[in-house]
Amino acid sequence: MRRAGLARKSVAIGLVFGVSGLLAACSSGSDSSSEDASATSETSEEAASGGDDAASEDTGGGDAAGDEATGNCINDIFGPGGPEAGEGVTLNGGMLLAMTGAGSFFGDVMSKGAQLAADQIREAGGMDYQITIADHNNGDVPTALTEVKRMISQDGIEVLQTSYGAPSEAIAPLIAEAGVLTINGGGSSPGQLSKDFLWQNRMVFAEDPATGALAYINEQYPDAKSLALLGTMENGVGVFRETAPNAWAKLTGGDVVVAEQHDVGETDFKAIASKIKASNADAILSVSFGDDLGYQVKAVREAGIDVPFMGIEFTSQAASIAGDTYDTFTFATDFYNVDNPNPWNQCFVEGYRAKYGEDPEYYGSNYYEQVFIFWDLVKRVIAAGGDPNDAAQLQAALIENPTFASVYGGSADVVGEVILDTNDHSISKPMGVFTVENGAPVLAQEIRKVSPSDDPASALVQ
Amino acid sequence: MNIDLFAQLTISGVVLGSFYALLGVSFGLVYQTSKIFHLANAIPFAAAGYAAVWTAGVLGLPLFLALLVALVVAVLFGLLILVVGYFPIIRRNGALLSLFLVSLGIAVAFPNLLQIVFGTENLPLQVKGADGELEAAFSNSIYSFGFLTITLIDVLKVVVAWLVVVLVVLFVKKTRTGRSITALRTNPTMAAAVGINKWMVYVVVFALGSLISGIAGLFVTAEFVASPSMALQWTLIGFIAVFFGGISSLPGTALGGLVLGLLTSWSQLFMGIQFAPVVVFTALFVILLVKPQGLFGKAAA
Repeated sequence: MRRAGLARKSVAIGLVFGVSGLLAACSSGSDSSSEDASATSETSEEAASGGDDAASEDTGGGDAAGDEATGNCINDIFGPGGPEAGEGVTLNGGMLLAMTGAGSFFGDVMSKGAQLAADQIREAGGMDYQITIADHNNGDVPTALTEVKRMISQDGIEVLQTSYGAPSEAIAPLIAEAGVLTINGGGSSPGQLSKDFLWQNRMVFAEDPATGALAYINEQYPDAKSLALLGTMENGVGVFRETAPNAWAKLTGGDVVVAEQHDVGETDFKAIASKIKASNADAILSVSFGDDLGYQVKAVREAGIDVPFMGIEFTSQAASIAGDTYDTFTFATDFYNVDNPNPWNQCFVEGYRAKYGEDPEYYGSNYYEQVFIFWDLVKRVIAAGGDPNDAAQLQAALIENPTFASVYGGSADVVGEVILDTNDHSISKPMGVFTVENGAPVLAQEIRKVSPSDDPASALVQ
Repeated sequence: MNIDLFAQLTISGVVLGSFYALLGVSFGLVYQTSKIFHLANAIPFAAAGYAAVWTAGVLGLPLFLALLVALVVAVLFGLLILVVGYFPIIRRNGALLSLFLVSLGIAVAFPNLLQIVFGTENLPLQVKGADGELEAAFSNSIYSFGFLTITLIDVLKVVVAWLVVVLVVLFVKKTRTGRSITALRTNPTMAAAVGINKWMVYVVVFALGSLISGIAGLFVTAEFVASPSMALQWTLIGFIAVFFGGISSLPGTALGGLVLGLLTSWSQLFMGIQFAPVVVFTALFVILLVKPQGLFGKAAA
């Protein structure tokens, strides 16, 4: 009897440790004291943005940067607060993020971006955006489904900010059935396009920049004929199987000589590097993401391979892993520039620095923007006399006018602008190929999204 | 078959296998003596990494001193887990399952604690240069021999891993404390009867196991970064190496780790890296079916 009682106590102790661990995992993250700032482009903002000088369509009333300074930059840009701006309206938002494990950095910065937006909007007299954060455990689909069901049924979320490719594809039927307006600013994928209630506010991961990336390699290294492809099974699979091989063949007449997929979170790429070396590949394209890229670049360079290495994103996390070897890395993406003089971006950056003591980066900016998209839609529905807590009405307002203010693009006097595609629910943003110099990205070439039937060389913006 | 590729994969396999050997000996030392599935062996691994980053980069200690401090921190964490987590259960003759649950709970909670305290960002190992600015602590030199390459850290991993394995085996075989460990491992009742203090043996074993785990953690931190999730997957590899190589033999565990590393590397001649875990667990499954005591273990009398 005594042993049974002791065993029960022991199990209880173990459960306490385990539960406390789970509770800690559900925390929205701490203020990081890291000195690492997000990488910035050093080129002119017009070049990085694609030269978009269009004024934002400010549906909150007031012109961009035209009102008298009120001491609150959000009001300066989006107009005054009040009932028309959603004051008194509570919008329940969910976030489906990687809060633990290898991808926890993403979840941390994404949630920070969204929380800042919620705070700024509330202070500006706008809606009260309440955030519930759920952890999809580094992209685990069953966990994502369970968490979204929980947020819908128990937390009553009306909108959702999702991340990663596989979980976001998996939840599409759920959010469509429940009518939860959802935006993905992280792992967008072709499988998420044209889904009811699901929208993307980043260019389709890997798919959109891949052709431009390969065209850039071809232009810079015209003798390159053989390509090595790296990627995960979580996202970018279409690039791996079709887009890259087809574009490469059209551009160079060459072949893909190595194609290696790996699990997200892989750290040992020495064997893959050996295979690439043995294949004599002339160039490498990786559609992996996050820390994996840092491990890849490091392994490839330490194997003595000095051919061009092109990726499709840049994170400070990967750069810290790769160290000096990241100065040999190029990447193609819709890159966020912390130095963009766009007034809203400056408001964002100052707010982020004040709240978190560090610069924002790419993913934080996307999830920050998403909350403002929701706010914009709330204001539009209010103006139309509708119910701002009805996600179907929010989506209808989006479809009616898919243009939104953006921290990307613009100029010193004008807030940037992005347009969502009402056909496939994707987005158009300026993209570029960037080199890395002294750890910081530098724009080398603007690129555009092209369709498979186009000449891939046309992806380079001349 | 591409001979150059095979040779390079063999080198990579030896490096990986040596690291597995280190992890296996760390885990095996604790398991063989106490029978505890010490998944919390991940904590000294990560603690050493973070301690090195903090003492070198924040406190500005010279690298050698920072590494020493980091190893002391690793040992302290290991002993803390023993005293606070396991001793109360062992003293009351608690079930091994209870110990496993505690270990699992600690192993799961600690990365989250690291995340809360240090944030989610990767932390490279840096030292303060002459100008006071932070710079990389290691320059990982690359040595090329035709097609073949190996880095300085890879060479150090192999050398240090097998040095540690040899020293631990000699310690266990040749010293009085080591013989106490063997006695406790083979016959706890008789060991108690002849006056061997079980608690002191546990302290020594956990200290040594944590020290070795800390060494492994320092390698990962020096080669890459310290991160909250850096440790658990490596600890699991150590666990597999023990059962693959031999649960009753430290040399067997080490050799098992080496074989596992080579198998993992060579398998990529024929299949993608995503199948590496399949190879590892298939090998373990086969060995346990054919030789339950492990590849190099001795069958029970």
